[in-house]
Amino acid sequence: MATKFDAIVVGAGPAGATAAYKLAEAGIKTLLVERGRGRGSKQVFGGRIYVTPVREVFPDVEKTAPIHRWVKREKISILHNSRILSLEYESPEKHSFTTYLTEFTSWIVDKAINAGAVYVDEVRVDSIVEEDGRITGIEAGGERIEASIVIDAEGVNRLLLEKLGLAERLSPEEVALGAKEVIKVGADKINERFGLEEDSGLAWLLVGEPTDYLPGGAFIYTNRDSVSIGVVVYLATAVKKAREEIYRLVEKLRLHPQLRQYWEDGDIIEYSAHLTIESGRRFMPRKLATSGLIVVGDAAGLLLNTGYTFRGVDYAVYSGYLAAEAAKKAFNLGDFSEETLRENYEKKLLGSFIAKDLRNHTGVEQIMHEVEFFEKYPVVAIDTARKLFELGYETPRIQEALRSSLKTHHINLLSFLYKMFKMVRKL
Amino acid sequence: MSSRESGNQQLLKIQRIDDLLQRNLWDVDHRPHIVVDTSRCTDCEYKPCVLLCPAGCYTLVDSKLLFSYEGCLECGTCRTVCPREAITWNYPVSGRGVLYRFS
Ligand SMILES: Cc1cc2nc3c(=O)[nH]c(=O)nc-3n(C[C@H](O)[C@H](O)[C@H](O)COP(=O)(O)OP(=O)(O)OC[C@H]3O[C@@H](n4cnc5c(N)ncnc54)[C@H](O)[C@@H]3O)c2cc1C
Ligand code: SF4
Repeated sequence: MATKFDAIVVGAGPAGATAAYKLAEAGIKTLLVERGRGRGSKQVFGGRIYVTPVREVFPDVEKTAPIHRWVKREKISILHNSRILSLEYESPEKHSFTTYLTEFTSWIVDKAINAGAVYVDEVRVDSIVEEDGRITGIEAGGERIEASIVIDAEGVNRLLLEKLGLAERLSPEEVALGAKEVIKVGADKINERFGLEEDSGLAWLLVGEPTDYLPGGAFIYTNRDSVSIGVVVYLATAVKKAREEIYRLVEKLRLHPQLRQYWEDGDIIEYSAHLTIESGRRFMPRKLATSGLIVVGDAAGLLLNTGYTFRGVDYAVYSGYLAAEAAKKAFNLGDFSEETLRENYEKKLLGSFIAKDLRNHTGVEQIMHEVEFFEKYPVVAIDTARKLFELGYETPRIQEALRSSLKTHHINLLSFLYKMFKMVRKL
Repeated sequence: MSSRESGNQQLLKIQRIDDLLQRNLWDVDHRPHIVVDTSRCTDCEYKPCVLLCPAGCYTLVDSKLLFSYEGCLECGTCRTVCPREAITWNYPVSGRGVLYRFS
């Protein structure tokens, strides 16, 4: 028995669910397949979503999405030797919000179902079927389902694209591992301890000690009545330099003498882990569409990590939307060829703000690779601040404090200044 | 004992990874979704899986590698870092494995 749909979407993350919603809304007979149970049950992210691109696709996002808190305070900190050096920024505007990705994704899947998409959970797709150079459907548990177009939204572990030969086997250089604990604290306590208003939140990025000076970073996000805390390490360096288990790093963050006051009477309600893309530009497949197939979201390499923030969910949503638009055109033309799909999807995506962001930030990604940047500079920064702020008899000038810290850590002043200059230019 | 004290003890206790994993909702399959050919691990110098698996699924016992799939968080790290291609990796079937609710 051959079942047939117009379109099949593989993976109900933000990218796939959005594509399915937009396709179903246009009256296209759509199947959305997800390996997890229920909705959103395999979803993990850090903690916040930028709203502007999401609003373009879902104009009701502010009214109906499971928004926990609007991020009104940003904080970036260097931690070392019981000292914290921070940069803080506050804004009254609603540009991004915290949530659980599990909830946010459910919200989109519901929309897809209400629009008429057929949602099937608990089904792991085993392969995307190619016949005579054309994608014709999927195979799961020995059963085949056909469609005119397949949208691959499988996320960062591209087992299906690898099988098709459209993506290389994942290498440690391309990804970072994130591990996260969600600690339930209570809304009032969060407001009081972090000094936040009822619906306002904090996004806090930390480097240095929390990753054991490995390239990557730690994060703290305030949700409605919980905090998400976690550590992200780049696998390429972690493979050689990790000295303890990644869950120990998360635990150390949780137990950190200067941080644990925020959540120490709370309850850990979940522990999760997920890979994330380290350089979207390099991770992007050679082509984002072939005959009968479009690739969206993480699977397409659409992730930006600037060192001080992550963008992946809004990109996923937006790419799902662009994919649905391209598929709609293909149905109108009755043409699902590689040429048409690349013209209507890949070209649009590469001309969008997403591809521009990814191109713009390649320099930062190079910095994020420099071990020195994570190993030595946090220490130098804290050392310099210590000399400036912890005064005894003498009061050093900034220049003197920096010079002597650099000397202690055997870093040449000129090369340091050159690197800083280079970094500022790339940021 | 006040609730604050009991909370304190809970969080301050150095957790065994199993204590942490127990916080999650699970429906573990009796069929393993990941199979490791540990004969390839004997001469592997780094064994990066041991420190990098976020669920502690890879452990060394008398310098022999042991793998258990039960606490797997389905992240894909081991598949990526294994230098010996000793791992046959897939996701669980039928919605089994970890069920995230608050991530
Ligand atoms: C630690 C960490 C922190 C992050 N922080 C942020 C952040 O703060 N803000 C932000 O915007 N982004 C963040 N991201 C990135 C963001 O999570 C991703 O970019 C986003 O989830 C990508 O969406 P997606 O739909 O492409 O893929 P995914 O969300 O990975 O969804 C893929 C779906 O496909 C399903 N699937 C996979 N294979 C199959 C198969 N064979 N059959 C059936 N179903 C399948 C999976 O179960 C999953 O539900 C973070 C990521 C990580 C790991
Ligand atoms: S997939 Fe991730 S959690 Fe599962 S065994 Fe491999 S490294 Fe551990």
